[in-house]
Amino acid sequence: MERENRLWRVILLALPVAVFAAFVVWPLASSFYYSFTDWNGFNPDYDFVGFDNFLKIHTDKLFLNATINTAFWIVAAIVVPTALGLGLALLIDSRIPGGPVFKSIFYLPICLSAVVVGQIWVWIYQPDWGLLNTVVEAVSGENFNYAWLAKPDSALWSVILAWSWQQTGLSMVIFLAGLTTIPEELLEVCEIEGAKAFQRIRLVVIPLLTPATVVVIALNVINSLKGFDILYTMTGGGPFNSSDTLAMHMYNESFKKYLMGYGSAISVVLFLIALTIIRLYFRQLRKVDELHG
Amino acid sequence: MVDVALAFAPGRRFNPWPAVIFISLAVLALLFLAPTAGVLLSSIKTTRDIALGQLWTIPSELFWGNYAEVLANPAVHRYFLNTFIVTAPATVASIALGSLAGYVFAKLPFRGSNLLFLVIVSGMFFPPQVILIPLFRLFNAMDLIDTLYPIIIIHTAMGIPICTLLMRNFFATVPNALREAAILEGANEWQVLTRVALPLSLPALAVLATLQFTWIWNDFLWPLIFTQSDEKRTIMLGIVNLQGQYSVAWGVQGSLSLIASLPTLIVFLFFQRYFIKGMTMGAVKG
Repeated sequence: MERENRLWRVILLALPVAVFAAFVVWPLASSFYYSFTDWNGFNPDYDFVGFDNFLKIHTDKLFLNATINTAFWIVAAIVVPTALGLGLALLIDSRIPGGPVFKSIFYLPICLSAVVVGQIWVWIYQPDWGLLNTVVEAVSGENFNYAWLAKPDSALWSVILAWSWQQTGLSMVIFLAGLTTIPEELLEVCEIEGAKAFQRIRLVVIPLLTPATVVVIALNVINSLKGFDILYTMTGGGPFNSSDTLAMHMYNESFKKYLMGYGSAISVVLFLIALTIIRLYFRQLRKVDELHG
Repeated sequence: MVDVALAFAPGRRFNPWPAVIFISLAVLALLFLAPTAGVLLSSIKTTRDIALGQLWTIPSELFWGNYAEVLANPAVHRYFLNTFIVTAPATVASIALGSLAGYVFAKLPFRGSNLLFLVIVSGMFFPPQVILIPLFRLFNAMDLIDTLYPIIIIHTAMGIPICTLLMRNFFATVPNALREAAILEGANEWQVLTRVALPLSLPALAVLATLQFTWIWNDFLWPLIFTQSDEKRTIMLGIVNLQGQYSVAWGVQGSLSLIASLPTLIVFLFFQRYFIKGMTMGAVKG
């Protein structure tokens, strides 16, 4: 019996493990390997350059710039969709009519592609007839032509807002799922004991939502590291690299300048950042499991 | 369920809170819909109207010329066909492979299977950029650049983590007694998987079909890297490309975006419940 089981394990696992190993694990390992070379993307040959690519990271001002932008991007991706998603979830979870309709409306942007979301928001920020400037003009009564995406001061934040618009729905549904696990009796008891609505939310609901919050934050951070498509379509990392992130910088160095060795080094750094976050996430999950059972 | 509306209601006095909540939600919903509505409005207007600054107003008459223009463009047909050629097999293959692995992790665990499971699942957390260059080199060496094969293969491989995770979690809820009974009747593991476990897991399959279809259809990065000629472009790449061709024809761009989003919107509306559940399941149990 056990021997038969062993055979079946091999038969069933062979294909998925082989595909995963060949096209995910092996390339990941190779990225480390190529980060020590000067491969240019065309020549089959390359030389080993030791730690040169990593030393270059130290002096690459654009890398520092991209890292700072990525940090902003991650922080904003934590704060905005998480806070908005929680607020929306709490509102929808109160027994108002039309809850499912609201849920769908806030969730809808998630199924649009980053390219389409990018295009939509390029129009909103369009200086002459974009929605944002039209509203500003209507409110202020003055002519307003600020080019949100073409100014280094506002480009990154403008893309972050578009990104948050798309991601909020995801945070919201996870919070809604978390809210269903809070026993109603508990809140009734609180009410009888005289706790005000805001006290109940602050002292009971939010602490009990911790597992959902951990998931939402981790997911937002991980998704934000993947944020490439929307930047590519909205700003291309510009103007003057003001909205460059690590993913974008990696793409530019590898596929615009054909510095694949250096690009690999950047992707190694990106991998290490993701790994750190994932480890923090799993550790938090374990803590939450211990607390909440 | 947390009943905020009730929570706000002390005694039997007039309670304004449900109304306040409803109105704030309605305002927020309008704000959320405004961007999408803008595209919808643009797609039924002439370029001239939009240039005159009337993109965000309700048009007095509907103009279908933008849709006609997009639908008559042979490049758009090709983009759509290419995207289907990529999305359909990659969706099916990733779910099939995830089911195989998920079944072993749920029903035939072995020493070290938890570790292997974790390694596979962690694959869904990494930015795709970290495997981009070696894959480019690999497919270049195989002379597959500017074909659709690399995109199909990559989406299959990158889909394995989420498919394995959800299928394992779902198979775990299939009672062991069912498997044992089937095996006593002389069935082998393959028959248990295909005739017992999978038919019982239709909800999970629906979840994954929706998720994978949406992600692969909407993807931009892999086609950007692996295709070069217009013949092989997928629809999302095509949108960006046609933005140059229709640079001031905003209405055409808008209708193109909507047409390109239609398949995922339809899938979303049909499987809405499954889609949301899948997102939460994948996330909460990760």
